[in-house]
Amino acid sequence: MQGFFYKMNELLKELYQEIILDHGKEPRNFGECETHNKSAHGHNPLCGDKVSLTLFIDDDDFIKDIKFSGEGCAISVASASLMTEKLKGKKLSYAENMFKDFTDLVKGSEDSLSTIDEDDSLYALKGVKDFPMRVKCATLAWHTFKNALKD
Amino acid sequence: MNKDKTLRKDIRKDFPILSKKILKTKDLVYFDTAASAQKPQVVIDELNQFYKSHYSNVSRGVHTLSVESTLRYEEARKKVQNFINAKSENEIIFTKSATESINLVAQTFYDKYMSAGDEIILSLMEHHSNLIPWYFLRDKYGVIIKFANITESGEIDVNHFESLITPKTKIAALTHLSNVYGSKIDEKVSSICKKNNVAILLDGCQSAAHLRIDVQKLECDFFVFSGHKTYGPSGIGVLYGKEDLLNEMPPYQGGGGMIGEVTTDKVSYAELPAKYEAGTPPIAEAHGLGIAIDYMNNAGIENIINHEEELTKYAYEKISELDFVKIYGDGDNRNSIISFNIENIHSHEVSSFLDVEGIAVRAGHHCCQPLMKHLGVNSTSRLSFGMYNTIEEVDIFINALIKCKDFFIK
Repeated sequence: MQGFFYKMNELLKELYQEIILDHGKEPRNFGECETHNKSAHGHNPLCGDKVSLTLFIDDDDFIKDIKFSGEGCAISVASASLMTEKLKGKKLSYAENMFKDFTDLVKGSEDSLSTIDEDDSLYALKGVKDFPMRVKCATLAWHTFKNALKD
Repeated sequence: MNKDKTLRKDIRKDFPILSKKILKTKDLVYFDTAASAQKPQVVIDELNQFYKSHYSNVSRGVHTLSVESTLRYEEARKKVQNFINAKSENEIIFTKSATESINLVAQTFYDKYMSAGDEIILSLMEHHSNLIPWYFLRDKYGVIIKFANITESGEIDVNHFESLITPKTKIAALTHLSNVYGSKIDEKVSSICKKNNVAILLDGCQSAAHLRIDVQKLECDFFVFSGHKTYGPSGIGVLYGKEDLLNEMPPYQGGGGMIGEVTTDKVSYAELPAKYEAGTPPIAEAHGLGIAIDYMNNAGIENIINHEEELTKYAYEKISELDFVKIYGDGDNRNSIISFNIENIHSHEVSSFLDVEGIAVRAGHHCCQPLMKHLGVNSTSRLSFGMYNTIEEVDIFINALIKCKDFFIK
């Protein structure tokens, strides 16, 4: 019995790691890029979480600047914040691989990750896999990023 | 029937899902009945039995099973009629959901009684299912929608409501019991509508299982509710409409069962209630709803109401003592629903935390985005009671809320 209670507490601790609570409370890259050439709004109509993303992508397909604004739960805000940190300076092709790796990670399949490893800040969101209803919170910013690329 | 005004003590045992353990160890505390009620064993068994022994299509054919199905389907209609005290069973239409019931009224009421420029009154606290069907009319036909304000206590501002009525106002569609505040509509609203010759639809999704419903006393023209929030199966909704209106309004969907006579160039329609029940209806679901109504009657509607009142009052007082929690609306007119937020913690976090404690509450906008905007919040958490909840569960919930605050706000 003790073990189970311990495990439940662990699930929550796994979900709400310090870095998630930190980014949830004080998101990085919050706002709008001074100049941007891509943007998108993301919205989770089931729960009302919202994110707006602006990007500046240079001629060589590097993400020179990326910022987000919006409102939502700690998971969705922290995920957006961590995403902007990771994507800044990355080439688009690499970023798209990251998108795939991240969505795999939060759904619980981490066998073929090429861009995210255990030391990565994004790895902190792995705990979402035990809360299937929260996967959408964690991936909202990433799907918005994908949509912005089509802008 | 239990006549001493208290609910049978062992009522929880009738609901098998309540013995489920969450994450293998925690007793389930189900505080999400406003989203959907759990089902008593008798409803589950009867659905099973219906498919095993009586099932066939209804109102078609003359063979034994068709007769057995039809009898049960029509018996369910009679039970619904008595449950809400409608004058005639012709006033009870089975639909697939309360949402479909409202869509049916919006479309056919418009067709018969409205044209561009006519006005509809809704309130800021309507569920999306009582907004969008009317938005369709606005977008397609140019009718005008006006919104009645909500008071600080979470009720329709009756004076403001009355001030919105003009000679162009044809119908008001309002929640009978708010799914966010738990507040019951002021009875004056119906009489104001009647005085001004405005039809009124009451959305009874949250009230049907938690208040005594009498559509004649309510003086409403339409009343809708769903089976699944009333301890019955999903996939069935009810529309009550006054017989003269339902007779005058055109059919909604076309198909089998709703016709009088069909030739290659014309069609006449069936009498009520078949006129509005095109296609094979939710047969077993209707039977299941009838059984759920029997179950509530046997438990005693007044007993259920008393029990839930006690729970709501107790929970409201206990939560009010927590200085880190904000409750929406006040305590006076509150029935089985409490929406709240913990300062600086999103409702998703609260809901995930409580889930790990075995407690099911709803988090989000409750399909009431205009109301969330009015409240200046993105979402709230909501606890809602059914007949099977207990005072002990409220205590478990209160302790979990305190733990939740300590977890997130260090």
